[in-house]
Amino acid sequence: MALFQLDNIQKTFKHGTTSEQILQSIDLELTKGALTALTGASGSGKSTLLTIAAGLQETTEGTIRFEDKTLTAISAEQVREVRAKHFGFVFQQAHLVPFLTVKEQLELMLDTAELKWSKEKRRSRIKETLESVGMWSHRDSQPENLSGGEKQRVAIARSIIHEPKMLFADEPTASLDSKRSAEVMSLIQGLSKELDITVLMVTHDEDVLQYADRTVEMKDGKII
Amino acid sequence: MKMAWKEMMKYKMRYIILGSIIFLISLLTLSISGLANGLSQDNAALIKNMPEGTFYMEESAEESYNFSSLSDSQINEVKNIDDNATFFSIQMGEFNDSEEQKHSLAYVSASDDQHFPAVEQGEIILDQSFAEEGLAEGDTIGNELTDEDLTVAGFVEQEKFSHSPVGFISSDDYSSMYDTDTFQLAFSTESDAAVDELSAFSNDEFLNTIPSYSAEQLSLNMIIAFLYVISGMLFAIFFYMINVQKLGTFGILKAVGVKTITLFKMMWAQMFIITVISLLLASGISELFNIFAPSGMPFHLTLDMILYSSAAFIAIGFVGATLSGIQIKKVEPMQAINQGGA
Repeated sequence: MALFQLDNIQKTFKHGTTSEQILQSIDLELTKGALTALTGASGSGKSTLLTIAAGLQETTEGTIRFEDKTLTAISAEQVREVRAKHFGFVFQQAHLVPFLTVKEQLELMLDTAELKWSKEKRRSRIKETLESVGMWSHRDSQPENLSGGEKQRVAIARSIIHEPKMLFADEPTASLDSKRSAEVMSLIQGLSKELDITVLMVTHDEDVLQYADRTVEMKDGKII
Repeated sequence: MKMAWKEMMKYKMRYIILGSIIFLISLLTLSISGLANGLSQDNAALIKNMPEGTFYMEESAEESYNFSSLSDSQINEVKNIDDNATFFSIQMGEFNDSEEQKHSLAYVSASDDQHFPAVEQGEIILDQSFAEEGLAEGDTIGNELTDEDLTVAGFVEQEKFSHSPVGFISSDDYSSMYDTDTFQLAFSTESDAAVDELSAFSNDEFLNTIPSYSAEQLSLNMIIAFLYVISGMLFAIFFYMINVQKLGTFGILKAVGVKTITLFKMMWAQMFIITVISLLLASGISELFNIFAPSGMPFHLTLDMILYSSAAFIAIGFVGATLSGIQIKKVEPMQAINQGGA
């Protein structure tokens, strides 16, 4: 059953009088709980497709459906609410808030998702999530005291703390060495299965594809 | 609020620098406000101590009270509109104390004791500052306008006019000293009706007829206004610079769903914390100065003034910070994602 559906997605960027079509009639369905990898050469449009799917930029044409909502037909504020409550994000860089500790990064996400959880549930969920990414012992650390791999694990914890239904990952291992990269991918794959999270991930790393349930290749703005 | 505080704790130095500048500007503003009010009291406490009402002066005096001289018919006309109207005169003058030392003062004489102290013929009631200069109750003073000495009958707090302490004398003594049998001004608390050939003034309007009063106050108020504008600009510039450095973080926070208003609230909270701490320090120091300032220094800072100034600083800080926050509204999550970060 498709949790997330893209129909006829097109994206055109205008530069003065000329325009460039980055995405051409993309159709894609994501099955609940599956990890889908978007791959392709640089400039193929995979990152643009990911950010459009995640509601971070608008389409020129097409429809995005998530559960019973048509994201392309609702207001920007409603899309933000969907992002906050149901989507998780992992980017190429960890992008942690530099003045918050590891634990506070997760608390911020819980506040953003406006979940009506008890204090006890928040505490246990934070502990459980940080333990799942192996960062509980670093809960009071500031981002500046963490390594690249540790930061990315915190970013993953932040992306799943609010129990999202979708996880969007844009080259999550690009800034990591192969060992850390494997660790992070095992983590994403494991959490996806354990928590039944649907993952759409952009990567150009061949080694990462082994963790995907499905690989979608893109070329010149089209799925091939 | 928690995020705002966390950030301030993380980057203490930059917020301490901003806070120090706001503290200095607010201290300067409160000091100049105290000075402006002190000078205003020094120049016109006699009038400012009176209740709200209407002052009448001869039209032909062209707003110079010392050229005004109410005729009997004009006095009667004022009495017709307010039976309880007070008539009074003010003249700058001087006296010699028992050691023949000269002191300048403003002689004030009134038709009744509704708004001024009651004083008997041959007596004078002086402003408290003369007591600090060594004069005491029962002392006699003389002046060149009359052969009769006046006995000091008492002292009153803070009665000044045109930067001189006031001496209240009876209308008989005033008549013999200045060779007049009328008054310069009328004052009514019950009516503001127009009277033929008399100009009517509210309390504030009358204050501006005192020579140098409006020029003095306008100059100081102009400085105060500039200080408020500077503090507003300072907030705008500071938060603009801080926000530029944080656009990446803001973009990511927006990407994960944080509301733009939450980011604004964080900035407002920081502005509020900095301003309140700076104002508390500045108010405390100003208040200490108010207490320990030399008695001759015209410095008078009231709690109302501190509260109004603080409210103005907070409002201006809010506007300055909000203007700089337009960048927060504009920042796109995509910009941040395409940049590096922690």
